[in-house]
Amino acid sequence: MLKLQDVTVVYPDGTKAVDGISLTVREGERVALVGGNGAGKTSLLLAAVGVLGLSGGSIEAAGITLGKKTLGAVREAVGMVFQNPDDQLFMPYIYDDVAFGCRNGGMSGAEVERRVDETLGRLGIAGLRSRSSLKLSGGEKRMAAIATVLAMDPSVILFDEPTAFLDHRAKRTLVTALRSLGQTQVIATHDLVFADEVCNRAVVLKDGRVAADGSLILLRDKALMADCGLEAIN
Amino acid sequence: MKQTIHNLYALEQLSGGKTAIHRLHPIAKLLATAVFVVLVISFDRYATLRLAVYVFYPTLMMAVSETPYHMLMKRFLLTLPFCLFAGVSNLLLDTNTAYVGGGVAVSFGTVSLVSILLKAYLCVMAVLILVATTPFSGLTAALRRLSIPQMFITVFEMTYRYLAVLAGEAAAMRTAYALRGAGRQAVEIRDMGSFAGQLLIRSIDRAERVYHAMVCRGYAPGAQVRATDKITLKDIGFLIAVCVLCVVFRIIGPVELFLKIFGGILSC
Ligand SMILES: Nc1ncnc2c1ncn2[C@@H]1O[C@H](COP(=O)(O)OP(=O)(O)OP(=O)(O)O)[C@@H](O)[C@H]1O
Ligand SMILES: [Mg+2]
Repeated sequence: MLKLQDVTVVYPDGTKAVDGISLTVREGERVALVGGNGAGKTSLLLAAVGVLGLSGGSIEAAGITLGKKTLGAVREAVGMVFQNPDDQLFMPYIYDDVAFGCRNGGMSGAEVERRVDETLGRLGIAGLRSRSSLKLSGGEKRMAAIATVLAMDPSVILFDEPTAFLDHRAKRTLVTALRSLGQTQVIATHDLVFADEVCNRAVVLKDGRVAADGSLILLRDKALMADCGLEAIN
Repeated sequence: MKQTIHNLYALEQLSGGKTAIHRLHPIAKLLATAVFVVLVISFDRYATLRLAVYVFYPTLMMAVSETPYHMLMKRFLLTLPFCLFAGVSNLLLDTNTAYVGGGVAVSFGTVSLVSILLKAYLCVMAVLILVATTPFSGLTAALRRLSIPQMFITVFEMTYRYLAVLAGEAAAMRTAYALRGAGRQAVEIRDMGSFAGQLLIRSIDRAERVYHAMVCRGYAPGAQVRATDKITLKDIGFLIAVCVLCVVFRIIGPVELFLKIFGGILSC
């Protein structure tokens, strides 16, 4: 479970990116966080894993309230796939990158290996195992970045634009993979078709506030979507 | 640039090997390398012959660990210009004759140039072999267990991880520049300032995001990576053997050693 209460995020230059958002994501729910460019999606997700400090409000994940002392515990419970896969891949080989979090979690060598292979297989990128991230295509990097988080098996996963750079086939693989996961998921995206396939709830952001929160029917609301800089699906 | 960094990482990939050297405990290898390097450096600058004996260590290690010689040599060659630079001044300043062999006078400058090159070769090779046979996480864990201050280890770790990021950023910027640079291949001097400044800002920004990605996946500077392996007798044996050999060669020159052993036998 992920519970945000009056969350406000202000950048050092004074930009108020998130303006008092309250949101409760229940166990196993898959929430689409949609909104136009600059709506505050990324900022909200970064705040939820404690990368951005809160200027107001509170965040609770898997029963733990986010704070200085609980940062480690929260990050063990909440995984985040960053908007730019280049930020997420920093080890020489994809295998090491996917293993990184597992090793930090104190898993044994054999367990790490099993986890990595299972995750790569599930995402259909077993072939990338011993490739260098410097030599992958944008879409391959994206899938590898997702694998780095899935391998850690957190109870809540936050995705920031997971479909950017993906071709049709990779998108299909991702849809299947995310639907098969039991975890609570929050997926920030402009890709409403993808959101419609994967999620079971939609939260619409505009100017750092929640403009609407409800079923996926919201994604078909032409006026609402246009108002938020998005194109409604049919 | 990106390629150079990748070469460095290629060396790390070798560290996944399974030879006897790979299986040694990181602490044993780290200490052995440290002892070796310190002793090699401690020789004075004319001790060419005595230094030459130390070739035994990199040679044996490379052979047993099955590390391809050319991979290490390529990296050593990168450091060669610096060594030459350091040695050449001696060549010019120190012209007194050291030996006369076959009618050719060898100056002290030449001898010291050779010993500088030899020292560099030995030290660089020893360190490269350590990197090629020990996973990076094993190295940092070893440093930690040896109570090296956490700050140094974090800086070391971040620098290493970050090299690729910096190279990637520079390459991307260069491409962007070249595409809009009307056919210019290199960055022009007048654009150099803003290019470098921008690279610095982008790198810092990028470093921060990479760091965030690391902590989000459980990286905690100073967290003990749970040490699963214990130091075994084999590790201690290896360490002692290397230390004893290095120290013996430090005290006794090869000629004396030869005479001591065989002189004794002959006189019997
Ligand atoms: N580092 C920063 N410093 C100052 N302001 C920022 C910073 N990062 C983002 N912003 C601002 O915060 C607001 C929200 O940005 P955010 O990145 O959260 O939007 P987003 O919904 O993720 O947009 P996109 O769909 O384009 O990724 C924007 O107005 C943006 O200009
Ligand atoms: Mg964003």
